[in-house]
Amino acid sequence: MSATHDLPQATAPSPRRTNAPMPAQRQLIRARRLVPMHALLVVVAVVTAFPFYAMVMIAFQPGQAIVLPDSMFPETLSLAAFQDALNSQNIPQWALNSAIYSIVSVVIVLLFASMAGYAFAKKRFAGREVIFWVFIAMLMIPYHLTIIPQYLIVGQLNGLDTMWGMIAATIANAQAMFLMRQFIYSIPDEMLDAAKIDGASEFRVYWSIVLPQTKPIMATLGTFVFLWHWNDFLWPMISQQSPENYVLTVGLNTLQEQQVPLATMMAAAVVSFIPTLIIFILLQRYFVRGVMMSGMK
Amino acid sequence: MAVATGSASVDEAAQKAPQPPVRRRQWWKSKSAIAAYIFIAPYVVFFMVFRVLPAIYGIGLSFGEYSLAGAFEFIGVDQYVKLFDDPVFWDSLWVTLRYAAIAMPLTVVLSLAIAQLCNRMMRGMAFYRSIFFLPAVTSPVLSGLIFVWIFSESGPINRLLSAVGLAPISWLQDSFWVLPALALVSAWMNFGYNMLILLAGMLAIPQEYYEAASIDGANAWQRFWRITLPSLRPALFFVLVLETVKSFQTFDTIFVMTGGGPVRASYTLTFMLYDQGFGYFDFGYASAVGVVLLIIALVFSLIQRRLVGRDD
Repeated sequence: MSATHDLPQATAPSPRRTNAPMPAQRQLIRARRLVPMHALLVVVAVVTAFPFYAMVMIAFQPGQAIVLPDSMFPETLSLAAFQDALNSQNIPQWALNSAIYSIVSVVIVLLFASMAGYAFAKKRFAGREVIFWVFIAMLMIPYHLTIIPQYLIVGQLNGLDTMWGMIAATIANAQAMFLMRQFIYSIPDEMLDAAKIDGASEFRVYWSIVLPQTKPIMATLGTFVFLWHWNDFLWPMISQQSPENYVLTVGLNTLQEQQVPLATMMAAAVVSFIPTLIIFILLQRYFVRGVMMSGMK
Repeated sequence: MAVATGSASVDEAAQKAPQPPVRRRQWWKSKSAIAAYIFIAPYVVFFMVFRVLPAIYGIGLSFGEYSLAGAFEFIGVDQYVKLFDDPVFWDSLWVTLRYAAIAMPLTVVLSLAIAQLCNRMMRGMAFYRSIFFLPAVTSPVLSGLIFVWIFSESGPINRLLSAVGLAPISWLQDSFWVLPALALVSAWMNFGYNMLILLAGMLAIPQEYYEAASIDGANAWQRFWRITLPSLRPALFFVLVLETVKSFQTFDTIFVMTGGGPVRASYTLTFMLYDQGFGYFDFGYASAVGVVLLIIALVFSLIQRRLVGRDD
């Protein structure tokens, strides 16, 4: 995704370029313009990153009134708030719940979405168009309208305050199936036909031919789904009633209501942010690809 | 749309391909079709139970009264009559509109400016972009908790204000400043995502346009206004509608930061829905608010269809 705007100009001279500055001169101008550009970018980056910095700084300075700018670069760092968070609160349990909620959802969504996406992309069956358009139409329905019925339905199935109830309601993800279908559509039919001629079963074609090819979209979707679930708040808050069943986002919010010391709360916040940061650093390019795909409908 | 053309060509391909002589009436009984049903079954079951059914159920609930005992009684449009008579509804609609009117332009203009800033080759750009994108993957709850402190009485923003000799503001306790403060959080959380979409649009603009304009003497501002913005129309509309819909549905940050307060100054429609549904367990009334949200969302996606459809 790197911009290569300046490169074609240098290699493709046009007759009208005679007025353009000489290369050396041009470099000079650009170098001089780079300084304010960097300055501007640094300012925006500092403002953007400040809340994260603040979170970490507060977490490392328990028991102190956090004031700025005096403590911008504190002299002492203490892990006490982290110990506090990990010992006295339900935080490890909540982190485990968040991890189960996110990871199990990712696995199921990827499996179901790729199965359905394969069928929609490569198979003919009665009702295919109708079902597909129902899926797409549902993207228009605001989440908040469906959350009350969802709560009632999960309640009817005795799934409230259980992990499976929380997961089950979130795995039918139309966007995931849609992305999968678009991607699998581009896998050549010849490849699937060849496998079938060699005697591969329907399931074998999906498992050994289609699935391995979907790795890039799996990474993109997996990143999205993980972060959606890791960051999810409203549904877990509504569907889980016992504090030991909370996920981290819900738990963090209750800490705020319980007047837990700010440093302890921020330490918990840092802990909840670490998986996001790891996923972001490792899978950034897949996530970026996913965002860009969503912009180019 | 790609969806339609894609499906059509699958059909054509399937029809043209030399198929075993299965009678047309019975092709759905073929092994391949049966396999297809098995492949879509898990998805369709979950989708029907947890998406389609709730959507229909949600609209249905708004025409009835749902008691805590679980009995449902059809009462026609009474919930809507009650809703349109309820000053709380009009207040929260007004709050929602004002919030959207601040958050959406703020976020979009910021996204566009920073996309423009990032749209060049230079050392360290990948690093800057990563930083700008980080808030977009942070949970709204976490963002809310940090910003509660940032906007607090002795928080960094008020420190900054007193450093330049201005009076501190109780951002989240002041009914005038609470919406701008929340909009600022929304801008911080969302600009990275929009920036990427706009950047993708900017990268697709042929560089020759800019060269030609430069030779004709256009300055940077003219090039942005006359070339970048018009070429960016589809991406920009996408971002505009996305941000509008998002700002109408903001809930997590408001819940964490203000709880709808002070005195309902940040009590949006989604907050009213939550309150009626899970505070008072008045599911019918809450669903009527949900239907209003649905209508707002439909109107905006229709507007988007119109505007973008005309363009290409």
